[in-house]
Order: sequence, then structure tokens, then C-alpha cells
Amino acid sequence: MDVFLQTVVAGVLKGGLYTLIGIGMTLIMGVMGIINLAHGQLMMLAMYVTFVLNTMGVDPYVSLFVAMPLLFLLGVVIQKFLLNPLIKVETILPENQVLMTVGIGMVLTEIARFVFSSDYKYITTDYSNRTFYLGKISFSVALTIAFGIALVFTAAMFWFLLKTDLGRSIRATAQDKDAATLMGVNTGRITVITFGLGSGLVAAAGCLLAPVYYIFPDIGGPFTAKAFIITILGGLGSTVGAIFGGVTLGLAESLGATYLGMEYEDIVGLTIFILVLLFLPGGFKRLTKV
Amino acid sequence: MKGLKKGLMAVVVAVLAFGMTGVARSAEPIKVGVLLPLTGSMAKFGEIEKRSFEMALDEINAKGGVNGKKIELLFEDDTGKPDVGRSAMEKLISRDKVPVITGGYASSVVAATAPVAQQFKVPFVICTGSADDVTEKGYDYVFRVNPPASEYPNAVLSFLRTVAKVKTAAILYENTQFGQSSSKAFEKDCASVGIKVLVKEGYQAGAIDFKPVLTKVKAANPDMIYMVSYVMDASLLMRQSKELRINPKLFIGGGAGFTLPEFARSAGDAADGVYSATLWVDTLPFPGAREYAAKFRKKYGSETEYHGAEAYASMYVVADALKRAKSLTPKDVRNALAATNMKTAFGPVKFVSYGKKTQQNKLDTYMVQWQKGVLEAVWPKSVATKKYIYPTPHWDKRK
Amino acid sequence: MKKNLLPLVLLAVLALLPLAVKSNYFLHLMILFLLWVVIGSSWNVLAGFTGQVSFGHAAFFGVGAYTAGLLFQHLQLSPWWGMALGGFVAVLIGLPFGAICFPLRGAYFALASLALGEGIRHVATIAENFTGGMMGIMIMPTFISKVPYYYIALALAVLSVLSIRLVIGAKPGYYFVSIREDQDAAASLGINTTLYKNISLSISAFWTGMAGALYMNYMGFIDPNVVFSLHDYSVMAILVAIVGGVGTIYGPTVGAFIMVAFQEFFRTGFFGLFEYLGEKTGSTAISALGGAVQQAHVLGFGILVIVVILFLPNGVVGDWEKIKRNVFRINQAG
Repeated sequence: MDVFLQTVVAGVLKGGLYTLIGIGMTLIMGVMGIINLAHGQLMMLAMYVTFVLNTMGVDPYVSLFVAMPLLFLLGVVIQKFLLNPLIKVETILPENQVLMTVGIGMVLTEIARFVFSSDYKYITTDYSNRTFYLGKISFSVALTIAFGIALVFTAAMFWFLLKTDLGRSIRATAQDKDAATLMGVNTGRITVITFGLGSGLVAAAGCLLAPVYYIFPDIGGPFTAKAFIITILGGLGSTVGAIFGGVTLGLAESLGATYLGMEYEDIVGLTIFILVLLFLPGGFKRLTKV
Repeated sequence: MKGLKKGLMAVVVAVLAFGMTGVARSAEPIKVGVLLPLTGSMAKFGEIEKRSFEMALDEINAKGGVNGKKIELLFEDDTGKPDVGRSAMEKLISRDKVPVITGGYASSVVAATAPVAQQFKVPFVICTGSADDVTEKGYDYVFRVNPPASEYPNAVLSFLRTVAKVKTAAILYENTQFGQSSSKAFEKDCASVGIKVLVKEGYQAGAIDFKPVLTKVKAANPDMIYMVSYVMDASLLMRQSKELRINPKLFIGGGAGFTLPEFARSAGDAADGVYSATLWVDTLPFPGAREYAAKFRKKYGSETEYHGAEAYASMYVVADALKRAKSLTPKDVRNALAATNMKTAFGPVKFVSYGKKTQQNKLDTYMVQWQKGVLEAVWPKSVATKKYIYPTPHWDKRK
Repeated sequence: MKKNLLPLVLLAVLALLPLAVKSNYFLHLMILFLLWVVIGSSWNVLAGFTGQVSFGHAAFFGVGAYTAGLLFQHLQLSPWWGMALGGFVAVLIGLPFGAICFPLRGAYFALASLALGEGIRHVATIAENFTGGMMGIMIMPTFISKVPYYYIALALAVLSVLSIRLVIGAKPGYYFVSIREDQDAAASLGINTTLYKNISLSISAFWTGMAGALYMNYMGFIDPNVVFSLHDYSVMAILVAIVGGVGTIYGPTVGAFIMVAFQEFFRTGFFGLFEYLGEKTGSTAISALGGAVQQAHVLGFGILVIVVILFLPNGVVGDWEKIKRNVFRINQAG
């Protein structure tokens, strides 16, 4: 029983981090209909920002307030100057934007390698290894905090999309871009803001992951894959779906690792992903309409 | 401004000269190829080895080189990938026409490049790549200075037999060539010592969360946990073992990541008491071992470990063979290498055949333990710098 | 006839090349280039002509390579049998691949193919007893000389490009393009879109698998991370086709050349120019710059990809007219 409970706790806590990684992707995919294959690389940059600030004595939680705006700006620049120009161009494949994000991801990785080399960097804080116990079950302090922050961000995004004018415009663009344009929404600006928001949110994930993990230039790729698995599980554009997707993936990986074997961890995630694609297109969102 | 102009002129002259062939040089240096991962995820080790090669090279050249000729090292970056390593190897052989190649870090790169060396009949002196079967194919142009992966835990086994006498074990390993082959070998070793393996699990290098598998290990409650991991996975494994309060009698690392200073630094107090198999420590009674470590520390301001010593020694092995070779053709250098019998900072080097292996250097291995942030040699007793701490204290009882 | 002149001249040059060039190193690069012609062209059939952007082509490449390797490992058959079978086994893997992915469209297809490609890599890693896991498979290459490999690679490249050209010029090709342009319209016109998507996939998988089988024979070593690599094969195949020109017959050939040349040019520090200059002038700055350039080959290629997508969205071949026009204008201005 302890084994099961500990596995569930580990999975749910990891799911909190996954939620933060997925929520940015779900916004971007929901609004623009493109997969951002540079998502993990954006997180990697945020981790390096956290690392650099940490060498100057700044706590990773404080660097949230630096990394998020920085990555927001980077996201804005990418969308405005690299992705939006592609919409107007007539090309054979409509996926040119996706392919562009592959190129961007490659360049970001290599720039990081250039600046920081391939060496592993790590941040040790006094809470990196700290745990507390409920009964016999251990909770990592850093991951529990990350889980809380993920919930706060998700709630905030939910409120933002539902209640603010900008949020409504984003939702309108996601539902029907042409109609939104006709209703007077500047969809070009909306896409730029959305990509910025998505980047800012994944930056938060980077800051929270940094103290419990380590940093190297190639870290992005696997997390990009996790981000789109979460997005598909939760349903495009759904913030609540992102929590569901994140926690489901975290749990599935943990249970898979405990009861099948750790080497099956990734296969479990990929299998669930393909099953959802085939049998529940639209993901969790379709079930709840949230 | 003047300096800039001068510099520009120099560049122009050099560019012109670049176009001309056959620039006359006095006493062409002997070129030696070195294959190392200088970029990519293994670059950390590649760097330690490159520095060690360069240190040995400077020493050799300062003493007049080999038979009046200086040695020049041509480093090729294999990025830790077999296909890139192969291209690099072919470039060294067919374009640079080196008479001998050394280096070779990743097991997979060595497995892919050794046949190239054999096929082109250019001797390859492997300094680190440890896949067992590389020296089991009867290649007569492939030599290996370091012991193969299956022999890494020899000292660990002798410690288990004589001191620890544990009954059960868990084995965790990364899914790489080194991880899969050495975990398999260790499982067999366990059977021969009478240790029951309760859990044996592989994982993808770079996992975030080892807690599920560690929970399983905790439930199985083995006497020892044996881990084959590179540095950051090693650190996470120990940190999360501490989080879960897993208390076996010993944590043992199978070489690689567990001996690096980065491991202890990033794992913090979770690294304390962890044992590791190793191939070398600077306190060994080999000529130049201490001096090498001290010099490395002084020159680069960081610690070296067994990988560096392998590289340093390999440079001397190559130089020694070049000195004795009848001519500088690959064939004569190969014959000289086969007759190698020397003492190096890494230990005695002599390429012998035993079991299925050919042209393999046979060496003892050692066991180290992290004690208060310092890597101490603890086994065998003859080379120990500190007494081993056994069993490892419970997490709750540590200060 | 005039249309065929350039490819024929190119072919003649390539056929005679080993007579003129003796450098093994150069031939090695040419073999890599030819392999990439095959892989890029294959990807292009499915994505460029049929509109199904696959992110999982490493699966076919790896399966082809493992077919050759496993035949040797388990049955002691010459890995050259893999050249006969690799393509067909890749098609066998391709059919379930298609069954899973084809109901999905656009980005979803891409994601599913990516997941399948990664899934196969994990399976190959874990199935240690069958595949050898990360220990990989090592064989002794049959020939020491590069020339036989060069001609086999050349034959493979020519056959693949030629067969693709024939198919694209015939009825299936028109169906492929109609599926790409508007799948629903194609279906309503009575085209069996599932059948033709599977035909396109089979052609694509077949040639990619053949390239994989040749890779095993030529390189002599494979492991799952090498041949099932998402970045090195799935993504690279896409980039090669994009740079050269998606949906054009010769685009991937041009893209393959640019990619291999670019990579090698950077990796060797402009063929040792920097190193040489640094040595000659004694300037450490130049040597350092050379070192930096050597590490920048992926960065350079990444930037090239971004620039091409931004300014030549149809690739070098697809936008050739545009390039000519712009270059001409520059000439006029100058």
C-alpha cells in the first residue's frame, strides 16, 4: 500500500510541473492551431536564466519574476517576426509554421550550448532536497510548492480567459479566427500576446524545475514531447484540461515505472497519447466542455 | 591601429601561403590522432581527457619529443555519437594519415570505430571505451589501456566477499551501452558471490523522477544498491534516495558519474558515504600518479579522476611505442605497441591475451568512498587513504 | 530533352567521380550525401506531394537498418540481405503506422507520427534480447574501399529519385497532389484517399528502409539512439526537404547537398582555414574563432533553415525563379 501511495504522490507532484509546461502549449495550440516544437527549448532558456540569477544569489522563486517577463518578450519577438510573416505567404505545406519552430528550437539549443557549453549546470538550494512526511509518505518540498504554484497559475489563466476583454478576444480567436477578425479583434496582436503568454508560462515551469533537476542545452526536446502529450490529453486551449493532462501523464508515468518497470515510463506516455488521439480526439475538454 | 594593420597584413600573407602547397618545415612533427567527445553530453569527460593528453604531450615534447621529433596531437570531436566518431576516424586515417590513433571515450563510439582502425590497419590505442567485446574480436590493430566494463567492479566484489557479506542487492542502470553491459556483468558477479538480485531496472538517462523505482527498491529492502549512472542521474538518484529515506547497508556506483567532483557538489550531503568502483586514484603507488594529479590541479584549477589518468597514460604508451617503432608506418607502430611493457601513472601497461580477450591491458580496480565531500580510496586495504565507513549510517541518524 | 539535361549531366559527373577523386574522406561525404538524397526524397513523397507531414521517418530508417543487422546477428546472414529485405520490412511497419496516423489530419498526423517514431526507439532499446539493446549491432564492413559503397549509394539514389519521378508524373502522383490540396474534395471526386495515402507511405517507407539497410552495411554499427534518432533522422529528413524544396522532384537532392556540405564546412572550421590562419599569424583570437565555428555547425544549419522558411518558403528549387530574379536585380543595381 505504501508503495502505491508513494507512487501516486510522486506522480501527482510531477504532474504539477507538467501542468505548467502544458498550459503554455495548450494556449498556443488552441489559439493558433500550430504545434510549438520549440516549447521545451523556451523552458530550457528560462532554466538558464534561473541558473545565472542563482549564481548572483537570487532564489529560483524570485527569478520567476525575471524569467517570465523575459520569455514573454522572446515569445512576442518569435511570433511577430518569425511566425506571423509565414501566415501571409502562399506555400505548398500549411505546416511551415511548425517547421519554423523546429528551426527555432535548434537555434536556441545551439546558442545555449555556445554560451554555457554542454556542461551540466545545477542549482542547489536548501529546499532542493528537503522533504516532509505524511504518515510514511514523503513529499518533496520543492515539488509541492511547484504544484501549488501550478494551481495558482491555472486558476489565474482560467479567470483571465473567462473574465477579461483580452481573454475573451483570445478565446474568440481560438474558436474562429475569421469571425473574430470580423468582430473587430486584432487577431495578429492576439497571436503575438498568446505566444508571449505561452512562453512566459513555460518559463515558470523552468524556474520551478531548476532546483530539483539539472540544466543542459539538450534538455528541451523531451519536454516539448511531454507538452504536446499533455495538450492532447487535456484538449486544445483548455486550462483546466492542462491540469488534467499534466496530472494524468505524471501519474501514468509513475505507475508505469513502479508496476511495469522504469524503462517503460516513456512508452506509457506515448501509448496513452496515441490512444487519446484515436479514440478521444479533443481530449478531456470534450468530456467536460470546460 | 598600427597593430590592427599589422595583424591584417599577417592574415593576408597567411592566406596567400595557404594556397601554396608544400610549405617547407623543418623536422615534420609526428601526428597522432585523438578521438574524444569535445561537445555533446559527454564533453565533461572529453575535456578532462583532452587536458590530460595535452599535459602529457607538453612533458614529452619538452624532453625533446620522440627520436628528435615533436609529437603533434590532432583532436577530432566525435560528439559521443558512433556515426560521427566513424567519420572522424576515417578523416584521421585517410586525410591526416596518422600512424596511430588514441582516445575513444564512449563505449558505443569505440565499438563503431575499432573496426575502422582494424580494416585500415592503423593501430588504435583505446584509453576509456569499455565495451567488453571490442577486445574480443581478435582485432590485431586495437589495443586497450583501461580494463573492460565487466572488470570495473572487481574491487567492489572483493569488498563484498571479505567485508560486507551482503545477501541481497538492487541494480539500477541507465539504458546505454555502458549501463546495459556492466549491469549484466554485475548481475552474473552477484550470482557467483551468492547475492540475490531483488530488483534490476534500466532507465532512460535524463529521467526527472526516480521515486517510483526507488519506492519499489525501498519496499524490496535490499542490503545494497548498485547503480550505473552518469553524473547528474547519479546525483538525482542519491538525492531522491535520501528523500525517501532508503537505508541499505551500502550505495555503490559502478564507476562513470559517481567519481566526478560534480556528483558530490550537486548531490550535497546525499553523496556522503556513497561507494564507487574506480580504476584509479592518485594515491596509488605508480610512478607519476601523485605528480600528475597535483600538476593537473595546479594547471587547470580543478580535480582530475580516473578518466584523466587513462588519457595521460595512453599518451605515454603511444609515445613509447613511437620511440621503439622501426619506422613510422602504422604496421611498425602496431608491432611496437604489441611489445609494450612499461609503467605509467595509471599503472603497468602490457597488452596481453586472456579469456576471450586479446591485446587488453590487465589492471586491478579499486573502490572509493565519498567521506565528507572528499573521495577517499578505501579498498583494497593496501592503497586505502581512509578506513571505509560500513554500513552507511541511516539518513535519520546523520547530522 | 532539355528538361532532363541537367540531371543527366549531374548523373554522368557523379558516375565518373570516383575515377577522378581518390580521397576516401571525400567519397565518405559523397556517400552521406547520396544517403540523404534517398531519405529526403522519400520523405518528400509522403509530405511534399501527399501533404502528410511525417515526424517519424526515423522509424523506417531504423527498421531498415535493423533488418540488415538482425539478419546477421540472429541468422548469420550477410547484412546485404538486408538490402533486399529492409525496404519491404519498412513497408510492413509502415502499414500499421498509416492505419494509426491517417485518420488524423495536419498537426495531429505530425504528432502521432512523432510519437510512433519515438515509441519504436524505446522498444528497440528495451527489447535487449532481440535487438541487443544499446549494445547495438556491430558488423565488419564487406569492402575496405569506399568505391563499391559509393556506387551502391548512387544506384539507390538514382533509382529512388527516378521511381518517385515516374510515380509523381503518373496517375497516382496526381491523386497524391489532390489529397494534399484538398482531401475532402479528392474523396468526393471518387479517389480512394486512404488507399493512395498508403501507397504514398509505402513508397516513402520502402526507400527510407533501403537507405537504413545501406547505412548498416556501410557504417558497420547501429544502436537505437543512432538510427531511430528523432533529431538526426526524422527532423533532419524534413529540414533537408524544406531547404531544397518541398514538393519538387529534385529539391531534396539539392537540400541533401547543402546540408552535408554545410555541416562539413563548419565542422572542419572552413576546411581548416581558421586553424591554419591562427597557426600562421600566431593569433590566438583567430584560432579561438575557428574553434567556435567548428562547434557552430548545427547552429549554422538551424539559422539557414529559419532563413529559408522566411524568405524561400518553397525551398531553393521551389523558389528558384525568385532567387534568379533577385540575384538579377542585384546585378542590375550594381
